[in-house]
Amino acid sequence: MKTAYVDLDDIEGFEGLSVTEKYNRAIRRIAEKAPIRICSEEKICGAATLGDAIRHLVPARYKGQNPFYSVSHLTIRYDKVLKQGLNAYAEDIAKRLKDTSLSEEEILFLHSLENVIESIRIWHHRYLTATENRRPDLHRLLHQVPFSPARNFHEALQSLWFIFAFVRLCGNWPGIGRLDWLLGDFLEKDLLNGLLTENEARELLASFFIKGCEWIRSDPPVGTGDAQHYQNIVLAGINADGNEITNQVTFLVLDIVEELAISDFPITVRLNKNTSYALKEKTAQVMRHGGGIVAIYNEDLILRSLKKLGYADEEARCFANDGCWEVQIPGKTNFAYMPFDALQIWNKVTGITADKIPEYNSIEELYSAFRDALYEAVESLYSSHVKSAYICQNGVWQARGGIGPDSVVSLFEDGCIEHARAYYDCGPEYTVRSPHIGGAPDVANSLYAVEKLVFEENKVSFSELVQILKNNWQDNELLRLYAKNKFVYYGNDSDEADLWHTRLLNDFADMVNSFNEKSNCPVKFIPGVSTFGRQVDWLPNRCATAFGYRKGDILSGNDSPVPGTDTQGATAIVKSYCKTDLTKMSCGAALDIKIFPDSLTGDNGISALIALMDGFLALSGFFMQLDAVDTQTLLEAQKDPQKFKTLSVRVSGWNARFVTLNREWQNMIIERNAQNWN
Amino acid sequence: MLPVTKIQHFCTKDGPGIRTTVFLKGCPLRCIWCHNPETQSMADQFFYAEHLCIRCGICEAACPSRVHHITDSGHCLERSKCTGCMKCADACPTGALERCSKQLSAEEIFRSVMKDAAFYNGIGGVTFSGGEPTVHAELLIPLLRLFRSQAVSTAIETCGYFDAAILPELTAVTDWFLWDVKDTDDRRHLANTGVPSHKIISNLKKADACGAKTILRCILLKAVNLNTEHLQNIAAIYNSLKHCKGVELIPYHTYGGAKQVQLGQNETVHPEWIPSSDDIYNAEVYLRQYAPIIHN
Repeated sequence: MKTAYVDLDDIEGFEGLSVTEKYNRAIRRIAEKAPIRICSEEKICGAATLGDAIRHLVPARYKGQNPFYSVSHLTIRYDKVLKQGLNAYAEDIAKRLKDTSLSEEEILFLHSLENVIESIRIWHHRYLTATENRRPDLHRLLHQVPFSPARNFHEALQSLWFIFAFVRLCGNWPGIGRLDWLLGDFLEKDLLNGLLTENEARELLASFFIKGCEWIRSDPPVGTGDAQHYQNIVLAGINADGNEITNQVTFLVLDIVEELAISDFPITVRLNKNTSYALKEKTAQVMRHGGGIVAIYNEDLILRSLKKLGYADEEARCFANDGCWEVQIPGKTNFAYMPFDALQIWNKVTGITADKIPEYNSIEELYSAFRDALYEAVESLYSSHVKSAYICQNGVWQARGGIGPDSVVSLFEDGCIEHARAYYDCGPEYTVRSPHIGGAPDVANSLYAVEKLVFEENKVSFSELVQILKNNWQDNELLRLYAKNKFVYYGNDSDEADLWHTRLLNDFADMVNSFNEKSNCPVKFIPGVSTFGRQVDWLPNRCATAFGYRKGDILSGNDSPVPGTDTQGATAIVKSYCKTDLTKMSCGAALDIKIFPDSLTGDNGISALIALMDGFLALSGFFMQLDAVDTQTLLEAQKDPQKFKTLSVRVSGWNARFVTLNREWQNMIIERNAQNWN
Repeated sequence: MLPVTKIQHFCTKDGPGIRTTVFLKGCPLRCIWCHNPETQSMADQFFYAEHLCIRCGICEAACPSRVHHITDSGHCLERSKCTGCMKCADACPTGALERCSKQLSAEEIFRSVMKDAAFYNGIGGVTFSGGEPTVHAELLIPLLRLFRSQAVSTAIETCGYFDAAILPELTAVTDWFLWDVKDTDDRRHLANTGVPSHKIISNLKKADACGAKTILRCILLKAVNLNTEHLQNIAAIYNSLKHCKGVELIPYHTYGGAKQVQLGQNETVHPEWIPSSDDIYNAEVYLRQYAPIIHN
C-alpha cells in the first residue's frame, strides 16, 4: 500500500473538537481520500488501501500521530446487512434518536454511527463512479448492495466483502465468521433458479479468497508472521434452530483453499456427532495438505460450555470466534483476553526468581501455595479488567471510560443502537473478559518433577533443587538428564503425569468462573488456555525448569505438550489434553498437533485423520489445529527462504508464511515440529 | 509374558484406520535388510547410542557383569559378557543405554492398546508385528481373541514362516494379514533371509483357504528382486488367492543400519539397493495390470 494514512492536520479547530467528533472527521476523511483500487479480474470490489490499517491502526494521523483506537478480536454481524441492507441501520438509528429520554452523550454516539453510514456511502459512491465505465458488472452490483438487501449470491458476496473491507480500511480487524451460513441460502436459491452454475459460484468465491490476500506484501517484514489479520472463517455446525447448516458453500470454501492453497483466511470447522462423513473427509483432505489452514471445533462440547455460562441455546448455537479461535457469539460480543504466564508465577512461588527460597514439606503444600498465587493473579485481572473497568450507574452498566470511540465496529454489533452505547461501553449484548493461562503444561510438568525428585525419590532437597534451577542446571547435568529422561510427562496419556495438568486447569477454570458468582456485573469472566506463540516472548523472563529444560529452551505452546516430551503420538496427546473438563474452559483451550506428512498419505491417511477427529470429539476436546509438515522442509525454508515463499504454517489462531517469521518464531515452529511420529 | 520392544500408537501404515502396533521379539528369519534388528533375537538386549553418552560411569557401577568400561578413549562395551539383566539401561540417566524390550503380560498389552480405543472408529485396531508375532502363537491367539471380543479390529504383520497347524485358529481371530512376500526366487530368499520361500507361499495359500484377508507386502530391492520376473510372480501369487486385497510395494531403505550399530552388530546396509521413485512407479504401473496396488 503506497498510501499509509489520511492527514487530519488541515482540519480547522481539530484540537478543540470532542474525541467523538475528531473520530467522526477521521472516518469521513478515510472514506473520502483512501485510494480506490479495482483490479481487472476481480469479481467483487472494495479494498482497504491504507497501509496503517495493515498495522492495526486507524489510518488517520494528526501531527504525525494515530490518535484513535482500532478494534480486533471480534466478528461483527454481517447477516443483517446482507438481508436488510445498510439502509435498515440508518432507519434503526433514526428511530432510536426519537427517544426523548436519550442523554446528550447517547445522542452524540448515535450520530457517530450515522456518520459511519454516511462515510460508507461516500466510499461506496466513489466505487460506483470508478466502476461505471470500467467495470459495469461491478457497478451493477454496487447499485444494489450494501445499502439495499442482496438479492442473489453474487450481491451477497459483494455486500459482505464491502462491509468487511470498510471496517478493515478504518484499521479494525474483524473476523468473517460463519461464511456458509451467511451465503448458503443465496447460493442454493441461485442454483435452483438456474441463475448461477456451481463453477461460476466457485469462481466468485475464489475471488473473495484472493481479495483476502490484499494485505500480503511481496516483501513482507519479518516478525510474528503475516496473514494474521484475524480474518477467521467458521464453517458448518448447527443454526439457532438446531439444524445442520452445512451446504454447498461449505464444500466450495474447502475446495478453494485446497486448490489455491490460500491460508490467509484460517478456517475452523464445527464438527458434531452428526457431521456427515463427506464433510469430515473433505476437512481431512485439506488438513493433509499442511499449512494448518483448517482447524476443528467440538461443537457439542462448546455448546455445553456456553450453556453453563448462561447463554440461551438459540444464542449459543450461533457461536463463531473472535477472528482468532476464542469462542464468542458473533455480532453481539465485546471481547478481550488477558494472557499471563503461569510459569513465572510458579517460579516466584518456588523461589526460583525470589531472593529467599521458601520451605515446603510436601508437594501438596507447594501446590497449595501456587494455587493461592494463581488466584491472586486471576483476582488482579478481574479487578483491573472488570471490577475497576465497569460501573453501574442508575441501573445501567457502563465502562469507566478510556477506550474508544469505536463507532465503525459498534454499528455492526447488536445492542449498540438499542443501548445507545459503544462497543467498549457495554453496548453489545455481551461483554466478555477472559484470563488466558499460558505455560500450564510447563507448570504441570514442574509439579510432577518436583514431586518425584524431591518428595518421592529424595534425589535432592527442595531448596537444593531450586538453587540448581537458579543456576540453570549448571554442574548438575546428571540430575538434569535424570529429570528429563526418566519421567513421563504431560502429553503421553500417562494418568500419573497428566494428573497435575488436569488438576491445575480444573482449579484455574473453577477460580475464574467463581468470580461470575461474586458480582451482579454482567461482564462474563471466562477462562481460556493459550500462549499464541508468547512462549517465545516470555523466554527471557523464564528460568530453567524442574523437568530438565534449561533457560531459553522452547517450552509448551497453548495447551500442547512441551516440545520433546511427547513420545507416544497424536492419540496420546489428544487423550492427555482431554482429561481436563473443558466444558469449564469456555473461552477455549487450543491443542496443536503436528503430524509427519508421510503418515497421512494414501486413502488410509484420510481414514486416520477422520478417526483422529472422531476420537477428539468423543473424548471431549475443544479446539484442535493440526499441521502436516516435516521438519526437514522447515529447515530448508529457513536456509533458503526464496524457494519457500508460500510455505504456510499454523502459528496459533492464525497462519503465516514461514519465511515471514523471525528466527525465534521459526525455531519455535521447528522445535514444536521436531517430535514426529512413525 | 511377551517380549515387547514397543507399543506404537497412532500408526497409519499397519492396517486400516489408526492402529496400535505391538512389536514382539523373536523371528525365524534373518533378513539382511531388517529394519527392526532388535526384534530378531528373543534375548534381552540393549541399545547404546554413543552420541547421548556423557561418560558418567553410572552404567559401569550398575553392571554386575563388567560389560561397560569408561576409559579415556570413551565408553567401551563387552557385550559378550552381558547376561541381559538391564541394570545398566535402567540406571542410565541420559537415555544412551535403553532396553530393547520389556516383558509384558497379555493384560498389560491389552490395557495399553485399549488406550487408543476412542480412535479406532470401527476401522482401526491392534496390529501385532515384530519380529514375527506368530513365534508367540500360544499367547498371541488368545490375545487376538480378546481384542476381537471387544470389537477391536485385529491384524498381524507376518513373514509367513510358521507352523501351518496354527492357521485355523489364527485366521479365526485375525481380520487382516499383512503378509510379507520378500522374494519369489527361492535361492535368493534363502540367501537373504536365511529360510526358503516355499513354506511361506504354501502357508499363504493355506491361510487364504481359511478365508484370511491378506495384503501382500513386497519389499523391492534394486539389483536384487526389482525385476519383471519377480513382479510377475507376485501377480501370480495374488491371482492364486481368493481373499487377497492387493499388493503394497515397499522400497528398501537403510534405516535399520543405525539400530544395528546401537545393538553392537555389524551394519549390513546396501545403499545401492535403494530403488528410485521412478523404479517404484514403474513397478506399480506394471503390477497394476494384474493386482490392486495398496498405497499406505
